[in-house]
Amino acid sequence: MFDVLISNLPYLLKGALRTFWMAAVFVTAGSIVGVLFGSLAAMGPRWVGALITVYVFVIRGIPILVLMFIAYYAPPALGIRMPDIVAVGGALALYTGSYVTEITRGSILSVPKGQSDAARSIGMRGPAILRRIILPQAMRLSLPSLVNNSVIMIKATAYVSLVGIWELTYAAREVVERTLAPLEIFSGVMLIYFAVCYPLSLLSRHLERKYAYVH
Amino acid sequence: MRLDFQLVSRLVPQLLEGLELTLLVAVASAIGALLWGLLLTWPRLSSRASVRVPVIGYIELVRNSPLLVQLYLLYFALPMVGVFIPAFWCGVIAIVAQHGAFLCETYRAGIESIGRGQWEAARSIGLRGFKLFRLVILPQALLRVAPALTNQLVILVKDTSLVSAIGVMEMTLMAKISIERSAATFEVFVVVGVLYLILTTLVGLAGRLAESRARARIGHV
Repeated sequence: MFDVLISNLPYLLKGALRTFWMAAVFVTAGSIVGVLFGSLAAMGPRWVGALITVYVFVIRGIPILVLMFIAYYAPPALGIRMPDIVAVGGALALYTGSYVTEITRGSILSVPKGQSDAARSIGMRGPAILRRIILPQAMRLSLPSLVNNSVIMIKATAYVSLVGIWELTYAAREVVERTLAPLEIFSGVMLIYFAVCYPLSLLSRHLERKYAYVH
Repeated sequence: MRLDFQLVSRLVPQLLEGLELTLLVAVASAIGALLWGLLLTWPRLSSRASVRVPVIGYIELVRNSPLLVQLYLLYFALPMVGVFIPAFWCGVIAIVAQHGAFLCETYRAGIESIGRGQWEAARSIGLRGFKLFRLVILPQALLRVAPALTNQLVILVKDTSLVSAIGVMEMTLMAKISIERSAATFEVFVVVGVLYLILTTLVGLAGRLAESRARARIGHV
């Protein structure tokens, strides 16, 4: 019964490669933006924090699929030429960034104030305190959530197929149209996603136990 | 850049029609997912492995694969085995299956955070079984995880946009069709984005309001 899955596996795995390559690039980019914004929101000037709050509020309040459609239709309308994958990937990165901003902001604010007071008392200054005292501790706190967020974003890459970008889910639909075997193909594809996402989920849980904050 | 909002205003009735269906999908899925997740906590917390393990398997499988693929599986595979379900209900079932799994884990965290003393005290005054759970454990557990529940419901509302992929004429699909029919381009999606933003903000506010009212009634837990 699953012959049809096995015979189409090479094609699907090519799609999977594309999916996970895309996830690696855009989710990493979004996470870097998020860590930067989150740090600025927690430590930077007030007005910067306010701007970042608006960014997070707007992006998190809109479905990623709608953001992808905006990114897909906007550049041509504005007379800008860019490959679809860059525009839609940008939407994915911005979306990732909005969640990572909140994670980072929260973990920076939960590093006890005594830590920066102590650093200041031995003569360290702002940027050095952030880089050498606050961020290392905050990153340890936020690591489980960051990994978990990556799982959510890998799952969200499937939606780019709806704006016509070829990856695993798109490849699955092509194969189903050809073979008329939706049960075998889609459950197989579910397992391919699972094979990547589940270990990451376990890693996230493991990190959470390992880095549980000891006061 | 020139936004043609005059054209957009003519498309608004269509979008509002879509919004209506979005709300229907959201309400049906939210009710279903909240109940399904709660129902799952019983086998999930069972001490018998033969009951617990299959449920954990289901929860991990749906949590670690895309909702879109699950939606396709339901929509395209069920007719092949002779089960015909309208697209609307396919969408609702897929959302309930995924969000119910997430909500089950949230409920579980809440239930496990309630100390043994509460169970023992309830038993000592004669409460047993489901009544004990419903009257003593559940209200406290729900209150502890209320922010997480609200968050999950906001994500659920956003996920309703995915049912556009199987042809349910909700707001996202309406927007896409409007764009393809008219010359208006992404302005339509900007309007739709704002409508979703209002919707998710209202859900977030309602969740926080419900939480603070419950807190006022039940007190600190």
